[in-house]
Amino acid sequence: MMDQRWRPTVNEREFIEHALQSDLRIDGRRPFDFRKLKIAFGREDGSAEVELGETRVMGYVTAQLVQPYKDRPNEGTLAIFTEFSPMADPAFEPGRPGEAAIELGRVIDRGLRESRAVDMESLCVVAGKHVWSVRVDLHILDNGGNLIDAANIAALAALCTFRRPECTVGGDDGQQVTVHDPEVRDPLPLAIHHLPIAVTFAYFGDGNIMVLDPTYKEEAVMGGRMTATINSNGDVCSIQKAGGEGVTSSVIMQCLRIASVKAADITSKIKSNVDEYTTEKAVRKVKRTPVLVAKKNDVPDITMESNDGALESQTSKTPNDAQDTSKGDDDYRIKRISPLTGDRTVKPKQTSMFLGGPSNWDPYSKGVSLSSLRISQLPDPPAKPNDKRHEDAKSRLSESNLDVESMPNSGIAGESDEAKESVSPKSLKDAVKPKHKRKKKQHGKS
Amino acid sequence: MERAEGRKANQLRKYSCTRNPLGRAHGSARWEQGGTAVVAAVYGPRPGTRKGENPEKASIEVVWKPMTGQSGRQEKEYEMTLKRTLQSICLLTVHPNTTTSVILQVMSDDGSLLPCAINASCAALAFAGIPLKHLAVAIGCGVLENGDVILDTSKAEEKQLKSFAHLVFPNSSKSVDLKESQQKDGQSERGLITSITHGVMSEEDYFNCIERGLAASSRISDFMRTTLQKHTPDYL
Repeated sequence: MMDQRWRPTVNEREFIEHALQSDLRIDGRRPFDFRKLKIAFGREDGSAEVELGETRVMGYVTAQLVQPYKDRPNEGTLAIFTEFSPMADPAFEPGRPGEAAIELGRVIDRGLRESRAVDMESLCVVAGKHVWSVRVDLHILDNGGNLIDAANIAALAALCTFRRPECTVGGDDGQQVTVHDPEVRDPLPLAIHHLPIAVTFAYFGDGNIMVLDPTYKEEAVMGGRMTATINSNGDVCSIQKAGGEGVTSSVIMQCLRIASVKAADITSKIKSNVDEYTTEKAVRKVKRTPVLVAKKNDVPDITMESNDGALESQTSKTPNDAQDTSKGDDDYRIKRISPLTGDRTVKPKQTSMFLGGPSNWDPYSKGVSLSSLRISQLPDPPAKPNDKRHEDAKSRLSESNLDVESMPNSGIAGESDEAKESVSPKSLKDAVKPKHKRKKKQHGKS
Repeated sequence: MERAEGRKANQLRKYSCTRNPLGRAHGSARWEQGGTAVVAAVYGPRPGTRKGENPEKASIEVVWKPMTGQSGRQEKEYEMTLKRTLQSICLLTVHPNTTTSVILQVMSDDGSLLPCAINASCAALAFAGIPLKHLAVAIGCGVLENGDVILDTSKAEEKQLKSFAHLVFPNSSKSVDLKESQQKDGQSERGLITSITHGVMSEEDYFNCIERGLAASSRISDFMRTTLQKHTPDYL
């Protein structure tokens, strides 16, 4: 197969370079402007999709219990896996990652690990035996240039929204680890101290012209590049300048100053997006009971005889008309460009019909009995044996001969002796943190 | 059996198709069915075929990228299924000695993953302008204990069911609106392109699945038709 890399023509190269001498870029930006940044979150915790102009990257975080490294027995591990998918660029070949992919992975890894952005010690469960190993998968979907910055943001956004299952250590010898199902006990976020933001500069000419956030065309023409990973406190977490044009130290200092300003910008953007998503998810969780509420308009029944229906309102979106999305967005919808506030107003009307709606939800009221919120209202849960098998298989993968007992979905199918406290499934109990129960008891006693 | 969110047996989840979300690929599509989302990108036709492929025809290459982890056997099976399905819908003799690559990325998985991927690939091929004989419309059907068939299974349902099938049909030739399509002969011409089953089901259950799947696929194929037609320039 021929090398499919995009090669600029002589005219294109000259045009880009000449325009830069007048501080003009081919997409109309100024030299130190970032492209438009959009962060969207997926259905599951720990999945984020970032669009930086034309560049799209998806980050996905997973975790499992493993044995720690011998020299760090009380720290968890963090691993970054980067895949340059052939869908992103005709030049990317499937198979083993090339050097660009490895460089990207290493730069992001250095920024996160050595600056101690993610707290590793909080991932320890039993020192020397069980720690959480966090794995970040970065999938490059569209290479519009500046993959490092976009992938870094995707990794950070995914880490911020990732939730790991809660686990308790118990048993006779204090070595038995019980991993709680996320439905039974709320999963926990990672402890993230700061957000290291990668900012990439491209150099042109004799190293005296530099631009921020290059597109793929500019990358093909540039003389060299430098990536500075800085957090909003102004700490330089890593600098990567691998060959290319030589630049003077004054230019580098200027770049770092610009980078710290941009880093603060991007940090606030990430934080606001993550906060929005977390609050929306929490709100959704409280309202997650409506099984009997029929979905409005939506997909009509498909029966073999009826041919009278007009073509229903299935959405066919293009990137331009985002407003095309039909209003019947259900709970599983990814938070997209258009806010879902339009639908939110409809829901409270329906939830007030039965207990559990936010309008008459009071965690401190004595009157709410758990049995009244019971299983008849909720959908058929997955059967116990299946879950147990699934949990067991998962834990078997991570350890070889350690006895990790994973707690099955005890709450859902009915009573169980072990978990008296977390009996009812998917009900108010999950929304209310366990510590509230103390208050409730005192309230009852007084 | 009560389905989540009060879905009836014949009710599909909300599906949507985004046209060309990616800038570099020649054609791309993002297909979502409920909580399952797949992005498919198409590059091609590119010159040359791989070793072992017939140079007198175009060849299709499929790469499947899971959400996490290495590509294993399951991914290889998906790639093979997709390759054979897409080969049967493409006009391979139009561009001989070329390779068209279809790359899929799983964005989220909530059941019926393979049908979602097939729909996404078909849409992406159409958006890329690859010559096709007809579209491939895929649907997932599950068989309950009592023999009832439910459509568009979710992940939780697939875990519970004793058997389910992923079926691919060609698109319907006429719109569901027209009264003519009520005649049975129109339907019987549509054969089954691909069928992958999991678990054990009786013959009758399987034929039930096919019937239900066929009916559901006409809905999806009409939706595909409007999606593709929406941006057809006027001079065509």
